[in-house]
Amino acid sequence: MSEIISQEKLRRLVGEWIAAGKRVGGPRRVKSGLVLYAALNNAGELLLDGFIHPANSIKEFIFPRHEVLYSYRLEGKKIALGEPEPLSAEQIVVGARPCDAAALPILDHVFNWDYRDPFFNRRREMTTVVTLACTEHDNQCFCTSVGLAPDATAGSDVLLVDLGDGSYEVRFVTDKGRKLLAGQTEQSSKVGQVPPGPEPKLDPKDIRAILDGDFDSPLWQELTLRCMGCGACSYSCPTCHCFDIVDEGNARGGVRAKNWDACQFGLFTQHASGHNPRTVQGQRQRQRLYHKFSIYPAKFGAILCTGCGNCTRNCPVSLGVLTVIREAARRIEVKSGKPAAATNT
Amino acid sequence: MLEELRKTCRDLLEKGTVNVVIGYGQDDASLPAYPIFVTRPEDADRLVWNDRCFANLVTYLTKPEVKALGKPAVILKGCDERALVVLAKESQIDRGQMVAIGLACEGVGDPREAKCLVCDVHQPKYCDIVLGEAKNQPLPAERRYADIEELMKKTPAERMAFWREELSRCIKCYACRQVCPLCYCNRCLADKNQPQCIDTSSTLKGNFAWHLMRAFHLAARCVGCDECTRACPAGINLRLLNQTLARSAEEQFGYRSGIDPQAEPVVGAYSLQDKEEFIR
Repeated sequence: MSEIISQEKLRRLVGEWIAAGKRVGGPRRVKSGLVLYAALNNAGELLLDGFIHPANSIKEFIFPRHEVLYSYRLEGKKIALGEPEPLSAEQIVVGARPCDAAALPILDHVFNWDYRDPFFNRRREMTTVVTLACTEHDNQCFCTSVGLAPDATAGSDVLLVDLGDGSYEVRFVTDKGRKLLAGQTEQSSKVGQVPPGPEPKLDPKDIRAILDGDFDSPLWQELTLRCMGCGACSYSCPTCHCFDIVDEGNARGGVRAKNWDACQFGLFTQHASGHNPRTVQGQRQRQRLYHKFSIYPAKFGAILCTGCGNCTRNCPVSLGVLTVIREAARRIEVKSGKPAAATNT
Repeated sequence: MLEELRKTCRDLLEKGTVNVVIGYGQDDASLPAYPIFVTRPEDADRLVWNDRCFANLVTYLTKPEVKALGKPAVILKGCDERALVVLAKESQIDRGQMVAIGLACEGVGDPREAKCLVCDVHQPKYCDIVLGEAKNQPLPAERRYADIEELMKKTPAERMAFWREELSRCIKCYACRQVCPLCYCNRCLADKNQPQCIDTSSTLKGNFAWHLMRAFHLAARCVGCDECTRACPAGINLRLLNQTLARSAEEQFGYRSGIDPQAEPVVGAYSLQDKEEFIR
């Protein structure tokens, strides 16, 4: 037996959530040729098929690109500090891709390591994620190479599987998910079948082997020479989480805020002295791969990549995790005449 | 034309005329062709040429990592060539220390990019080597700016609403700046943080500040290659912003950047005939 819900009913529920003042987000066609995860104004905006992956990720709902930490106001000699309004409305993300949802438990590690980030955790608690299993993939998808699948449940509260008849099988993952859809599903004998995901395209063990090899290899610079040095990869990545803390305002008042930052910018590592330990783009690209496949796994036991492919799709010169690693593996094999994995020995 | 292109590049490398050829490669048909740097004659066969060769390779000529490779040859479309002309005019490149290979272009993208629909530079004119033949159709100025006419028909309030919607999506990834052949500043104003000149926050205020500042710095310089618009992961139509200023430059000063290497740049020249209506 399974639980099912019709698409019509799901849309009706989305409309009710919005009407009840909840912040509901999901894939939305914001303009011709562009699908983004965005706040939905009505249920009709929710896009449930006809695209591979939105150009951004659901991290925007948990880790927004700009978040005020506190505000200040100067009045004569008095300084008044203001706390930002705590997030009070419940958030529901509907139609998330499994590779986006899977990023959330990965991010939990870094936001609860030596310091428990109240902003991140508050949003995480207030958010319910309803994921929709993928029925399609493109050449840039590689979830199956990093231990995930088109129907992976990591990070989801509910997983929906398309039954192909205008309804979805509802697979509850957490109590939060059960609570959200309590009494809204029907019993059925139908069970959703998820088509196989992309063929595995790389092996994280091989990547570790490449990364554990020659840190100063000229290969990094060679492979990533075309990198333009923007932050499109990092900002559209579900797992990239670097931020900067900035003060913005004037003599009367202002805010201290947390803004996204990216390791691909030269300014990211620029010291106050003027010294910059990463002087060329190849070093910045190398850093991004090390962080994802070596540093983060060593520290937290999780790969900082869910194989969504957004980095490659959004890159102006089609340079992403998949393209760089594949080319590195090919080159190392060519140079050593051995499989890439053997470079570790 | 492809064979001719590969042969030309192979010869340049073999003879030692250049150290590197900046061109296009492609190994995944689902992705656009991407920039490659060919340093060995035998690798010239990696070069491709098709209607998915979007990137403006002129951008690389001012990047230190690429300069370090030595004397370059660069493959250009007509619109890219306009950027080369501006860079030379602004003393950012030494035209004698490089080889420009222009390719006749029928347009890129399927459907064709907006810029291609109003293109009058299909055939490069100022390259050292030009391959192929295309017709450069003269285009009346009013057709050239057809895209912004719809926008300009709106009331100022409606236009503001349009730009608020577009710019609210900006995530400050700076892809627009990074792919721009004319954004070559060693340190961008947006990166000046002692004090911070432009809010780094991707709030509406910070986003307006960034895009207006960039547009003004590109006024009468932008060549309309539209790489910023193509690169934007938030789909912001920066073309409209740039076109607005390009039209002003043409209407007020009769100047189109990168079209004529002899023309004095508007920003860099003073003429008694300059209109000064904007000072009133």
